[in-house]
Amino acid sequence: MQRINIKGLIGQNAVTLDDGEIIYNLIHESLMHGDVVELDFDGVEIFASPFFNAGVGRLLVDLKPDTLNQQLKFDHLSDFGSRVLRRVIDNAKEYYASSTAQRNKVDQVLTSDFLAA
Amino acid sequence: MQSNINTTKSKTIYVPRINDELNDFFSMALIWKQATVNNDNIIFDFTDCAFLRPNAVVFLGGITRLIQASGRTVHLSLSTMQQHVKMNLLQNGFASMMGAETEPWQGNSIPYREYVEPNEDIVLKYLTDDWLGRGWINVSKNLKNEIAGRMWEIFANAFEHSLSEIGLVCCGQYFKNNKELVLAVADFGVGIPSNVRAFNAQEDIEPKDAMKWAFTKGNTTSKTAWPRGVGLDLLKEFVRLSKGSLAIYSHGGYAYIDEDSELYDNHSAFFGCTVVQVTLRCDDNYYCLSTELDSAQYF
Repeated sequence: MQRINIKGLIGQNAVTLDDGEIIYNLIHESLMHGDVVELDFDGVEIFASPFFNAGVGRLLVDLKPDTLNQQLKFDHLSDFGSRVLRRVIDNAKEYYASSTAQRNKVDQVLTSDFLAA
Repeated sequence: MQSNINTTKSKTIYVPRINDELNDFFSMALIWKQATVNNDNIIFDFTDCAFLRPNAVVFLGGITRLIQASGRTVHLSLSTMQQHVKMNLLQNGFASMMGAETEPWQGNSIPYREYVEPNEDIVLKYLTDDWLGRGWINVSKNLKNEIAGRMWEIFANAFEHSLSEIGLVCCGQYFKNNKELVLAVADFGVGIPSNVRAFNAQEDIEPKDAMKWAFTKGNTTSKTAWPRGVGLDLLKEFVRLSKGSLAIYSHGGYAYIDEDSELYDNHSAFFGCTVVQVTLRCDDNYYCLSTELDSAQYF
């Protein structure tokens, strides 16, 4: 099992896309190989959705919810952190459950050169 | 404040009293128009100004930086200010950021800050210590962290989406008589309506519809290759639960959310700014997360 001390990696605030990406890059491969990963949030105090979007929500691109329930564990996650995480996962599941046509439309926009950052 | 004026061509703009009612946006729009119509240096005269709410302070701070970024000079005339307006701007640090020599001091204001880059540690410390940590609102540490996390969504959105060349400006105030704790954040980027139109490739989206779209769970103008769009929904939920309010003006679009209402509208006053104002109700109660009650001390 791979155990990751989040505070040791990113500090006590888990709020940014960049920090979420750090976690994603650390765990994605292991999860794809069937390993169990535990994210230890001991000492992490503040949470926001960009962190979980980039770190966890996007795992649903190529891993099924059941698989992630088996392989990805969250330890010492505060009540609010847990609520933000659940919201992010629900949103990601909704997105990936939408029809291919709908997603293609969104992805088409995402890859175009519109002004939106 | 702020010297080096090229006196050959300066325009004086008279700043009126600016509160946070819908009509006050017309005052800000007029200032915006006067300041951006040509390349004059600007003098802000406060003779007619009896009050500036935090949304007005961040607007003035932001527009000052925007004018300066275009190579022009700005003079904010302290000598024209009524005493209480002057004291407030000196106290919250706005005046010293604009060049006044008087250092800010602690009072009922949340310090005026400008953030050009998204340094989350600095911003979150500002939220937890300067906004929520002054004893005006009686919250547990966990709840304070939760509020800060939800407020970070505003900062993260602005940093990521606005493309504001001057970054973000924020300040706040504790209004003792009304028991309100206000925080205002402004950017001078492209604005929510423009972002939403570009993302949807639909130029005819009205500002009010763009604002509503932005507040709908799952919607985001982010170009990341994974789903987003939870942040504003989390913030909306928070102001409702806390019986506070959230008001956003952005480039002709207006949104107002509180416990009882959710309003999206067009505003005929236009200025190129996004101003977010969050108001929390302060009372004598102690607030904590419901899950903390079981572990709270009995005495």
